Amino acid sequence: MASSAALREAQRELENKANDLSKLQKDIAKNHQVRKKYTIQLGENELVLKELDLLREGANIYKLIGPVLVKQDLAEANANVRKRIEYISAELKRLDATLQDLEEKQNSKKEAILKSQQKIQSLQAGKGKA
Amino acid sequence: MDGMGKGTVTPLASLFPVEESQKAAKRVQDTIAEKEKELDHLRVFIADNNNLINLVQKLPEELHHDIMVPFGKAAFFPGRLIHTNEFLVLLGEGYYADRTSKQTIEVLRRRGKSLESQVNSLEAIIKDHKAEASFFIATASEAAGGLVEIREDYVEENPSKQDLKSGPLKQDVSGLAGAERETTSVDDKEFARMMARLDELEEEERAAERGNLDDENEGAISDFDEISYQRPSDNNLQNSEDIQRRMALKQTNDIATKFPKEHKYQDDMADHFGSLALQSQVRELSEGKTMAKNLKNSDASEMSTIYPEEKIVHATNTSKAEVQYQASRPSDDSQKCYQQASTSSTVGHADHTQRNSRKEDSTSSQVGCQTSEPSFDSRRAFTGSIIEHAENLPKTSGEQNSSSSLVSGSQPSKPVSRFKMQRR
Repeated sequence: MASSAALREAQRELENKANDLSKLQKDIAKNHQVRKKYTIQLGENELVLKELDLLREGANIYKLIGPVLVKQDLAEANANVRKRIEYISAELKRLDATLQDLEEKQNSKKEAILKSQQKIQSLQAGKGKA
Repeated sequence: MDGMGKGTVTPLASLFPVEESQKAAKRVQDTIAEKEKELDHLRVFIADNNNLINLVQKLPEELHHDIMVPFGKAAFFPGRLIHTNEFLVLLGEGYYADRTSKQTIEVLRRRGKSLESQVNSLEAIIKDHKAEASFFIATASEAAGGLVEIREDYVEENPSKQDLKSGPLKQDVSGLAGAERETTSVDDKEFARMMARLDELEEEERAAERGNLDDENEGAISDFDEISYQRPSDNNLQNSEDIQRRMALKQTNDIATKFPKEHKYQDDMADHFGSLALQSQVRELSEGKTMAKNLKNSDASEMSTIYPEEKIVHATNTSKAEVQYQASRPSDDSQKCYQQASTSSTVGHADHTQRNSRKEDSTSSQVGCQTSEPSFDSRRAFTGSIIEHAENLPKTSGEQNSSSSLVSGSQPSKPVSRFKMQRR
């Protein structure tokens, strides 16, 4: 009877761990998506910066804000884009760090799950013998 | 092979289960499909871009265009497009710029270029994935077909050789099937195999020079077997070229005593490696290169004394490496004899076949030629060794005629011809 209780306990533990793992995996997937979005944005911003660099001094630049086009200075637009690129790069770095962290957590979780699975198996074997 | 305890046989299916590899293949195929979709998307973009470029190019040709202006979602009304050379170009991220038609086309062209580079990278990725997929599929089919992987440690039959090769070879050099699949340790194995091949080839060449000698000399060899086995193991720390150099040096110093031993050693090699018939031209060429390098590395003073011997040893070892060898020689201008030898050796090579045939029927003439070698010190020493050896053999071997003839020809099969050429 005691062994069956222990077995149930172990199974519950395993379930919890499996839930945690799936949560972690979801996080990782989400992280990947965000990362992808940021990478695309970074590429776009770099393209914009390149074009802005190619524009001549007196060119008219507009920024679409909501439904209206607001006229902007070339220098201002340039600075804005640069800042945005900086921000996105920092964000990408941060995402990388968190991703690594999450992956480490995932690996440790996997190991833990493996261990509890083995535990359950041994418990079941012991039960079978008894 | 298992029974002999030499290697292991594992069915490929146990390493890579069929379903697993099929699953992996399917996954890779899925990614390929995904990437191809992306690629199609990009291609559409490129086509759109090209159309837009054409349009923008055409618009300023007229002062105004009659068009249907979209109004809301469903309606159009007739309108007129004016200011045909003014474009508001979206640069991305909500930024717009006023541009002329020409400038717009430039922007669009740049975009097209970046799109093309994206397409290229995507195509490369797809190619990679396809290779991966084909590998998985092949593995799956092989595993399903009951292919087994045979692994066997490479064991050299000749104990003395094993010492020489010990380093790289003791790492397991698995069979071909293993190597194909073991992508991780391929480099190690490749290296080990290359080293093994190099050593092998050296022995082969020696064996080839001496191959015909074996039968006659068998009796004589037995006496010297032990010594000949010890010699290589003494030298086993040096690389093979070093050993050759050593031999060359010893030859000059005390040829009379050492030479027969060396000869025996090489005969032994012939025994054990005569069966290895493969001779790859490329390897020989590369070997020739290393030898040439070896020559250059040694001191100039050393060279002048050692060189003739060294050449003899090398020449016996590398018949086909000769071309390379000669090519590298002229660069050492300081060695007169060196150059002399090189010029003569080109002819000597041609003479080689001739000499071979001569060797078979006329023995005395060869020996005579050798004894009458010119005054060059080292050269004489060498010929002395041969004579010594020739005298040595008849004591044990019954067939005096054949053995002496072979001995004279055998050791310096090529060099002899060269020196003969020099003498003339």
